[in-house]
Amino acid sequence: MTDTNEAAEARPKARSAVTTREQQWQVYKNIDLMAIPLIVLLFAGIFSFHFALTVGDWDYWVDWRDRRWWPLVTPLSLLVLPAVFGYLLWTKLRLPLAASVALLSFALAAWVSRVMNFEIFAGFPLNMVSPSTFIGLGLILDCTLMLTRSFFVTGLFGAFFFAVLIYPINWPLMAPFRVPVEYNGTLVTVADLMGYEYVRTAIPEYVRIIEQSTLRTFGEAVTPLTAVFAGFLAILMYYFWTWVGALASRAVWIKRIF
Amino acid sequence: MKNANAVTANAELPPAVPWGRIGAFLVALLALFGAYRYYQHVTSFTVGLDYFEPEFQIYWMNLLYAQLAIEAVVFCAVIGYLWMTRDRNVMSITPQEELRRHYVLLGFVVVFAVIAYLAASLYTEADAAWHQVTVRDTDFTPTHIALFYFGIPAFIIIGSAAFVYAHTRLPQFHERVSMPMALLVAGPIMIMPNLGFNEWGHTFFYAEELFAAPVHWGFVLLGWSAFAAGGFLIQIITRLISLSKLEGDTDVAEA
Repeated sequence: MTDTNEAAEARPKARSAVTTREQQWQVYKNIDLMAIPLIVLLFAGIFSFHFALTVGDWDYWVDWRDRRWWPLVTPLSLLVLPAVFGYLLWTKLRLPLAASVALLSFALAAWVSRVMNFEIFAGFPLNMVSPSTFIGLGLILDCTLMLTRSFFVTGLFGAFFFAVLIYPINWPLMAPFRVPVEYNGTLVTVADLMGYEYVRTAIPEYVRIIEQSTLRTFGEAVTPLTAVFAGFLAILMYYFWTWVGALASRAVWIKRIF
Repeated sequence: MKNANAVTANAELPPAVPWGRIGAFLVALLALFGAYRYYQHVTSFTVGLDYFEPEFQIYWMNLLYAQLAIEAVVFCAVIGYLWMTRDRNVMSITPQEELRRHYVLLGFVVVFAVIAYLAASLYTEADAAWHQVTVRDTDFTPTHIALFYFGIPAFIIIGSAAFVYAHTRLPQFHERVSMPMALLVAGPIMIMPNLGFNEWGHTFFYAEELFAAPVHWGFVLLGWSAFAAGGFLIQIITRLISLSKLEGDTDVAEA
């Protein structure tokens, strides 16, 4: 089993099916017209699946987006596809677009799902389940790659800021739900109140557990500390998943399955 | 099966993409998934809440049995047809015919991607929403029946069909196997045994349906098989570049 293996070299090279430049451009256009929707749909499907099963409920619900676990696990999960397909698109096609396209495709799929599944099907209010925004993070990663042309530097700075900025970039969306209100003599947030009113099968114990540990003694520094820690982990994640992308981009042939 | 000799009508002109057929197939597919989704919407919270109710047996278990039978027939018919009509002179087809077959293969993969989106995003997260409303009851719920016994089998059928098409009709795939394509197709297939583990785990040690729970991570691993799409696209695109090369163009090493 090799990349372009001995079996490939023994094969006759393909003869051309075109004779003019116009025909050649038509073939290229046909490839683009099929490959671009294919890539967007695959990104949307894989990203949703991967994100649902690694972050899932922490991003589905506004009251789950806590200040310690959500800002850590979310960027680490989000980085996987941009890193894997970033290698493919940059090294093979010189396109610094993987993170932006992947996150944009994911955003479209997430909105369709939250409206169709969580609001229309299950009956939750849309402002309780609307997705977070991540497209800006993809732009940061892609711009770093485009400007530096280096996976090393992109990991060091792009991936670091990808994770660090996830909370600030979402803050305008979350702020209205962090307003304190008094509920039966207890201080809660608007998001907490929505969570109490719309009872679900796995809430709110997990969020409460997150709020019980010695890290609470850091007070308001919890989120910045989490963001920087997520940034350091994101650097390692980016390098690891870029390597996986290098493996996945190999055009391997094998002689037989059996 | 058409072979090199059959492609004589206008052999010097490159073929067109069969947009009409691909479009018609996609419209039919979206109509099927849309109708299924509508049925799910109107019956899940009315007659789909309790497996032990007679209504559930009528509206959901009968649907399950019917769709499993239809899927088995469709799988055997499609794979059987592609195998029985395989091209035995695949190494001698014209470049134009090879280009046409690559377009058909890409059409298969576009349909594969549409089903990937529908199954992995829309149908999967319907299950996430469902489980936060209802307590887990049995292995068969309206969202499980739609996802695991309709969406994933459709995914398997189209993936397997694309795999067999490529390996029986394209010279590039003759007498060897594309590892990335095999991984791409194996992922959805292996979801079914992992589903067995998942349901067993839920009946044994993890009753909750928190979506990011470790008992679900097997699905994530199989979802990652789609990363091999990169290697597969490299194999296809480098061949298409060779098939559309003009004299004097720079040679591209075929993957």
